[in-house]
Amino acid sequence: MIDLQGYGPRLLEGALVTVEVAVLSLLLALILGLLTASAKLSRNVLLHRLATLYTTLIRGVPDLVLMLLLFFGGQIGVNMITDWLYYQFGVDIFISINEFVAGVVTIGFIFGAYMGETFRGAFMAVDSGQLEAGRAYGMSNRLIFRRIQFPQMMRHALPGLGNNWMVLLKTTALVSVIGLSDMVRIAAEATKATHEPFLFMIPVALIYLLIASVSEWGVARLQKRYNVGFGEADEWNN
Amino acid sequence: MADTPIPLEVRDITKRFGDTEVLKGLSLKAHKGDVITLIGASGSGKSTFLRCMNLLEQPNEGELIVHGENITFKTTRRGREPADWKQVERIRARLSMVFQNFNLWAHMTLLENVTEAPIHVLGKPKREAVAHARDLLERVGLLDHADYYPAQMSGGQQQRGAIARALAMDPEVMLFDEPTSALDPELVGDVLKVMRDLAEEGRTMIVVTHEMSFARDVSSQVIYLHQGMVEEVGPPKEVLDNPQSDRLKQFLAPKH
Repeated sequence: MIDLQGYGPRLLEGALVTVEVAVLSLLLALILGLLTASAKLSRNVLLHRLATLYTTLIRGVPDLVLMLLLFFGGQIGVNMITDWLYYQFGVDIFISINEFVAGVVTIGFIFGAYMGETFRGAFMAVDSGQLEAGRAYGMSNRLIFRRIQFPQMMRHALPGLGNNWMVLLKTTALVSVIGLSDMVRIAAEATKATHEPFLFMIPVALIYLLIASVSEWGVARLQKRYNVGFGEADEWNN
Repeated sequence: MADTPIPLEVRDITKRFGDTEVLKGLSLKAHKGDVITLIGASGSGKSTFLRCMNLLEQPNEGELIVHGENITFKTTRRGREPADWKQVERIRARLSMVFQNFNLWAHMTLLENVTEAPIHVLGKPKREAVAHARDLLERVGLLDHADYYPAQMSGGQQQRGAIARALAMDPEVMLFDEPTSALDPELVGDVLKVMRDLAEEGRTMIVVTHEMSFARDVSSQVIYLHQGMVEEVGPPKEVLDNPQSDRLKQFLAPKH
């Protein structure tokens, strides 16, 4: 049996933190991604410019730099505001930026930009005749989006989104630099204490692989659902 | 009798794309049971004219009156737009369109295609919508394809399915935009037969087509468009068998 020198339970806790950060970041990224794609596809020039600014910034600055900027820079910024409030109004409060929140927000914003591009391409790939038929039959824009555009868009988006998710999952390792105890940080601590790098890094790698495999299965199931009606002619002849 | 509003009327429809005027003040009146065929060369504006009737294209000028209801417009920076999109949606629900490229919703089965708008736009209960849909599919000869996806069907089947979808809304007027132009010749006949049956049972139809046999046999009125204007209009016997203008004579003449 492998002896994890007592770090076993903490590693698992760290794994849980990793998953929590990943899933919450995913939700934030999906929402931001859809909003960004809509903004870039809309006729409104301001929205379009804002969205382009957002994606350019994120894709141009390294994730690590963004993470440090948001966390340390954010804390300094919040301190400046609370200091000003104290000197102006005598209000004495201390707000500390929670590492977990900082991690989720940073990763969510980063991947919101990437997913925005994935969604944008997917929306553009939907045949406009499908939407026109919706309009011709008296459907409202909301109804068209819900019943026709979104389902057909997802079919095009899923491969890209699956990819975005895999990268997002691995990026969660960055939260270790702002002090959040994800499994990478725990493994790093354990390695420093015991001088046994492989003893801890291999299990960490395996856990990532496990989550990745489950994700692949999940995405494949989603693809099956959204590909309904679009199969090759051969598939039907069985 | 005089108080029943006619199903559809358009007056002085003008449409510009940039600097080009594509429709130059066209008017049309569709009474109940009329089958009006729009013919003309490519670029004559016939499809654009049809698409103005359900506001898939926005006419720059002109009126649209569906079953007595006048569509209100407002002027914006971008040009003229309907003032009330809810009104447009309501009107569109009474005018079913059949497209050249069928445009059946690819991620739904044929049955789902036919029940989709009745359920989600008209608010029909599902059971009722399904029963009605199955009747219509039987009418067009596609009941056994109810659970097929559009990709599994031929063009002619898809178009007949699209006609069933159009009928499911029990429309005031049916708009056909070159319904057989994208079909292989051997499939055209099946679709035309369905359309003839509809005409014979008294449906009000406006059809853009190149199928002169349909125009001659079934329409109550033929309108020949040339460069956005009505060149000739009248019953098929007059317009098709006795064309007055040179351009129409040329248009109707057998090519090689």
